[in-house]
Amino acid sequence: MTRPSPRSVRWLIGIAQLVLWEAVPRLGLLPELFIPPLTKVLGVLWYDHAIYWDAFLVTLYEVAIAMMIACGAGILTGAVVGSIATLRDLLLPVFSSLYAVPIVILYSVFTAWFGIGSESKIVFAGVYGFFPVMLSTAAGIRTIDEQYMLVARAVGATIGQRITRVIIPASIATVLAGLRLGGALTIIGVVVAEMLVSAAGIGYLVTKYRTTLDSPRVFAAIIVILLFAVAFDQLARMIERRVLGWRSAGRAERGTTVSATDTALPAPAPV
Amino acid sequence: MQHVANLTVAREQVASPAIEVRSLSHVYQGRDGAVPALAGIDLSVGHGRFTVIVGPSGCGKTSLLLMIAGLRRQAAGEIFCEGRPMTVPDPARIGVVFQEASLFPWLTAIDNVEFPLALKHMPREDRRARADEMLKLVGLEGFGGRYPHELSGGMKQRVSIARGLVQDPPVLLMDEPFAALDEQTRMTMGHELLKIWSETSKTVVFITHSLTEAVYLADEVLVMSARPGRIIDRVAIELPRPRTYEMMATDVFGRLRERIWHQIRVTT
Amino acid sequence: MSRSYQTLVRIALFAGLAAAWELFPRAGIVDAMLLPPLSDVLATLIKLLGQPNVHEALAVTAAEVIVAFLIAVPIGALIGVMAAENEYFGEIIRPLLFYVFSIPKSIFLPLFILALGIGFPQKVAYAAFSTVFIVIMSASAAVESVKAEHTLVARSYGATRSQIVTWVYVPSMLPILLETLRIAMIFNFTGVMIAEMYASRTGIGHLIANWGENFMMPQLFAGVVLLASMSILFNEAIRTLEARCSTWRT
Repeated sequence: MTRPSPRSVRWLIGIAQLVLWEAVPRLGLLPELFIPPLTKVLGVLWYDHAIYWDAFLVTLYEVAIAMMIACGAGILTGAVVGSIATLRDLLLPVFSSLYAVPIVILYSVFTAWFGIGSESKIVFAGVYGFFPVMLSTAAGIRTIDEQYMLVARAVGATIGQRITRVIIPASIATVLAGLRLGGALTIIGVVVAEMLVSAAGIGYLVTKYRTTLDSPRVFAAIIVILLFAVAFDQLARMIERRVLGWRSAGRAERGTTVSATDTALPAPAPV
Repeated sequence: MQHVANLTVAREQVASPAIEVRSLSHVYQGRDGAVPALAGIDLSVGHGRFTVIVGPSGCGKTSLLLMIAGLRRQAAGEIFCEGRPMTVPDPARIGVVFQEASLFPWLTAIDNVEFPLALKHMPREDRRARADEMLKLVGLEGFGGRYPHELSGGMKQRVSIARGLVQDPPVLLMDEPFAALDEQTRMTMGHELLKIWSETSKTVVFITHSLTEAVYLADEVLVMSARPGRIIDRVAIELPRPRTYEMMATDVFGRLRERIWHQIRVTT
Repeated sequence: MSRSYQTLVRIALFAGLAAAWELFPRAGIVDAMLLPPLSDVLATLIKLLGQPNVHEALAVTAAEVIVAFLIAVPIGALIGVMAAENEYFGEIIRPLLFYVFSIPKSIFLPLFILALGIGFPQKVAYAAFSTVFIVIMSASAAVESVKAEHTLVARSYGATRSQIVTWVYVPSMLPILLETLRIAMIFNFTGVMIAEMYASRTGIGHLIANWGENFMMPQLFAGVVLLASMSILFNEAIRTLEARCSTWRT
């Protein structure tokens, strides 16, 4: 008997997980406190959807602002640091050393400074998302083949044309991947911050229900966060695919859309 | 009136060579101070001539080419193209083909060829027509819609040549364009290049490491010394045109190669 | 810029920042309540390092970090190597891993608390959980990066599987392994910190969260400085080790 394709195995695993999620607690194999049945979780989510929606909007708002800050500042700083050799050689090693420090500990500082409202979360998540965006923009600018610039000058491109027609297209792959990672980190940053110290938002719901041992509602909140994270990731990848269509033009689509830039990035986030 | 004007123009053209380099020298800043790269280069290339420059690695041939193209500033000396000084790149007058095809990977072949024209805001249809013409010239008709990663090394270089020619510059500079290709492709490309050259009567300055290629392609071979580079020999290649592969097996060919090789060996 | 000049400039920058941290609060440019001067912070740090409750907290954190590391790394390495060696398994696992990667692990922390309560096991389990995936990925990549040619040469000399592993895989993988360990530790430490700050009665993360909630700013900053320095030192130590081992690489 031939082996089933990896794809089908994955599907099987996925379905098995859902089935187990429902069966195991109902059969009493594991306490419901630990893992409430899937249907209960979905039921609670449906029943309380207004609460979850309101919380989600708060989180969404914080994420949006933090993302704008992280991406904007990240791209700007990254472009500057990446193009000026002295800055680059000086600062990049510093940043990669800082990567070793868990930024979460700064959150306590931010809550002390900005209170428990949205500001502290926005600042924290902004800082969290800033670094991958900056690092990948700097890397993207740096790896632009010098030959491209030579060619551009040889055919008489003005500085403006060199930026718009060469630098941006050449570095956009890495920058987009960095934005995807930075955006993901921003979402995590906001959610973790809300879980830690907050009065509103999805993360706050998670903690609130956890302290009352309301497992189904905890799971429901986590599902909302998961959907958010996955939706963002898919959206970002779709944009990447659109913009970078020239990369896979003519090549057959592979099983999963693993972008070539996945490995080219600075290491993923420890959160 | 017209007749006299034509004569004047013709005389001017004959009077000023396509490329002229006078007393060019260059130094660059190494770790321990100034390093002389080029020393007192004088050369003159007539219109429609195919000139090849050979020399040992590091002798400064690429630097020289970049300076002629206006892409690098020399420390001393002057460069003229058709009587006008070259200080900045002038794509209408000089087209450049680099060693690495350096096609922009995010553009299709035809977009790459069109690129110089797009910079000048030439209208779309005119650009496309001209680019199509160039692709046809280099034998890539129908391949315009491909992306660089879908093209072979030889094809990429052909696109690069098409791009260099798209603005119809009288001069074409080529920096070891076939170096990254395998031997067989090189021979074919060299042959094709001569065909294109004879159809368009451009002035070509071509750099190569390969002595065979040099003798095969050139009207004249300029031999450069090791650093600091200077021109140590000018070898006129009196082989008949069109050149054929069979010529490579002749005594004349062998002697010309030997002469050049001897010069290079002596300086390194 | 030469290396020594670079180091000089970095030291100057660092000194500049330290000076600003000292002067701005003292001069009132920044509210000293919110950002105590550096000297106060350092003085507090020294005092804290002498306190038994701080010792206890550090010991607890260290224990969690080590145990979680010892759990996550072998498991992750095993799975990772299996994924690289067995194509079928790898094909199944790899896309799953990519999806897992786009999911933040920290949202699962409450689940660990619901299951294991608040305490040592929960924090260790969570930290191990957040570390294991990066170990899997890195181990898998490390194995794949072993040059196929080296393995081919070894096989042509009749090397057995275990010989190939010992004499080809391990030496060429050593720098990558160190790198994996370094990054795994970063993930691990972060995981422990998050767990301690979120729901814990012990550990340095808990102390820091506590100081923050009670506006004990000098202590808070002292804690931050301590943890930051420790992580950076450890990180750089492994980095230098990596560099030593990689001298043979181009």
